[in-house]
Amino acid sequence: METLKLRKITSVWIIIVLTLFVVAIVLGILMRLNQGEIIQQSPITFYGNMTTHGLTMIGIWFVAGMAAVNYLLERYVKTSYAANLFALALTVIGVLMLWCSTFIGEFHAGWTFLYPLPFKIMWAEWATPLFLSSLGVLGLGWLVWSISLMAQILKKYSISQAFAWQHFSKNPKVETPPFILITMITLIGVIACLIAAVILLILFFIEYFSNGSFVNDALLMKNLTYFFGHTIANEMLYLGLAVIYELFAEVSGRPKWHTTWYVALAWNLSLIFILTAFFHHLYMDFVQPEGLQIIGQIASYLASLPAAGVTVFSILVAVYRNKINWSLTNLLFFIGVAGWVIGGLGAVIDATISNNFILHNTLWVPAHFHTYNAMGNVLFSLAFFHWFSNQYYHHKERQNTLKLSILLIGGAGFLLAFYIGGAESIPRRYSTYPSDLPMGATLASIAALFASLYLIAILIFFFNISKKCLKILSSSPQSS
Amino acid sequence: MISFVSTNVKGQIASSGWKEEDRIYSKVFDAPLSGKQLRKGTTLYQVTSQKPTVLALIFTRCTGVCNPFLLELKENIELRTNEKNFNILVMSFDPRDTEKDLDDLAMRFGLSEDKRWEFAVTDSIRSLVQSIGFKPVWDSLRQQYDHDALLIGINSEGYITKKLIGIRNNADLGLLLASIQDSFTPTYRMANPNMLFPCFNYDVKTGKNTPGLGLIFVALPALIAMVIVLSVNFFVRVNRI
Repeated sequence: METLKLRKITSVWIIIVLTLFVVAIVLGILMRLNQGEIIQQSPITFYGNMTTHGLTMIGIWFVAGMAAVNYLLERYVKTSYAANLFALALTVIGVLMLWCSTFIGEFHAGWTFLYPLPFKIMWAEWATPLFLSSLGVLGLGWLVWSISLMAQILKKYSISQAFAWQHFSKNPKVETPPFILITMITLIGVIACLIAAVILLILFFIEYFSNGSFVNDALLMKNLTYFFGHTIANEMLYLGLAVIYELFAEVSGRPKWHTTWYVALAWNLSLIFILTAFFHHLYMDFVQPEGLQIIGQIASYLASLPAAGVTVFSILVAVYRNKINWSLTNLLFFIGVAGWVIGGLGAVIDATISNNFILHNTLWVPAHFHTYNAMGNVLFSLAFFHWFSNQYYHHKERQNTLKLSILLIGGAGFLLAFYIGGAESIPRRYSTYPSDLPMGATLASIAALFASLYLIAILIFFFNISKKCLKILSSSPQSS
Repeated sequence: MISFVSTNVKGQIASSGWKEEDRIYSKVFDAPLSGKQLRKGTTLYQVTSQKPTVLALIFTRCTGVCNPFLLELKENIELRTNEKNFNILVMSFDPRDTEKDLDDLAMRFGLSEDKRWEFAVTDSIRSLVQSIGFKPVWDSLRQQYDHDALLIGINSEGYITKKLIGIRNNADLGLLLASIQDSFTPTYRMANPNMLFPCFNYDVKTGKNTPGLGLIFVALPALIAMVIVLSVNFFVRVNRI
């Protein structure tokens, strides 16, 4: 059972995530306003904001998933409060270092900080080591947290049980809950991608301090960058899915989901596919071996089948012709799955080599990843935040339909501008569009308007949820 | 295994610095052209829209580089008998040159009957050379232009895709022809002794790659993650419930 300490630290995570989310959305809107020529930012400010926006978003939704999983994992195993606190402290320090490097040091190499950009100093000299160190601090905290959670699972379940291999035989004696299976699979992927980040940072620092006696191979650095970047961006979605498997049936008043052989198989395969799909980020790198490009496409196709197929099937079976206790929590889960699938389809289209020649580095790319994040993963976490805060301070919330509608209209309009831009070959990562691409500026202005609606909805969620989380923080053992 | 790790890398001889990059991907001026094989009122865009075009800028009274430059170009083009999908347009940047001067030049080089070659003048040469970034300097003492031997690649949409300065070999011409036909030409950074973990070792002489140590690093995170899982499992199993 969860302790008061765990409840409080989860509340702190939620408040931090929502606060940083609001700031990161504002940065995103400012970027779109600049692209729409409604405001004027210098390119340094634009790309600094782009770097901060990207890394902050990736970071907060990863820790949101981890905090949710950590909280729910306590239902099955005892988790380490110290590891949770350590991750929290290092996340706060890491974010402060990151923002310092971008806002004060004007580091603006993008959240992917592709080699050798961080060494092309166009900002304060100290900003490059500070930026790389901030990633090191964040990575260390998250790696320790991930290993700690995995160790707690392995204390109760053997490896084969954690992977649910016993479900491949008839009548398994022990059942691995879907939540444990998905969490285990996801944590291994998280650990692998954080190790990729560690290797990447070590190589960056060796070159930085070598005075030219050591140089890196750009192809190796790009592979490691996307091993880390692509994988963590996908694993955080899987953390959200673990939460859905645990909570959707429960809050809908349906029987709890169980692991079957096909659920076990799907998630075991997901681990392989998710660790090899990142090769699709290197289609334009002609020196990448052709075999890896083919693996990238096949893994991208297959990665979407087990996890998405099984999850969507499970959700549809759960709601089809069944009496469901619809609440804001399961509505957010349900809509989030739809957003995740739509974004996933956009991703698979882009991950097809022949399509990538057209869509590469167009607005199609932010279109699909914003879909499965802003309308997928964010909704998974909001659902958890709402459920968590309502557990202790439940009162009937008004205007759920209104705030959900604002969220959906804002999100859909904002994303549609990206998709239309992508289909029209409007390039991504342009601070302003040349006169040859007038549609880019128009779409950016429209996107900023809809993103502002999305922000309004998030602010409502923020105030409702944070208010309850603050009450949890100030609660005593007696009152709880 | 060989096909699995095969890449599309090609070697490229160093170019003449940044000068060749000037005005790349900008549109060339749509100058009206006059030439023996051209219909009256033909413009440069009409020529390039039919086929991507290699533009050579010369003047007929040149006592310097123009003749060897054209001769080398002619020889290189003759080696490309199977490639027909481009035009070669030779234009004078000297306002004194007439259509007849260019005809005579074509005849001297034995190219007046070759359909791929056009020789032309324009009354808008200043706008044309400005759009290309070509800057000939008139030397009144020698009564000659001081100028680069410049080949310009123009694709079928009128964009400058590549420039070659100086008398260049057939391989460089091949890169220019690929660029005007909008074919991607990959390049690769030369080997560096300070690069300890390259994914591939590129041999400049053969133009081939062999797998390098860096490829192992790509697989390393997954391997280390597995080792961590097994190690953690080993240490916690004694406490398993």
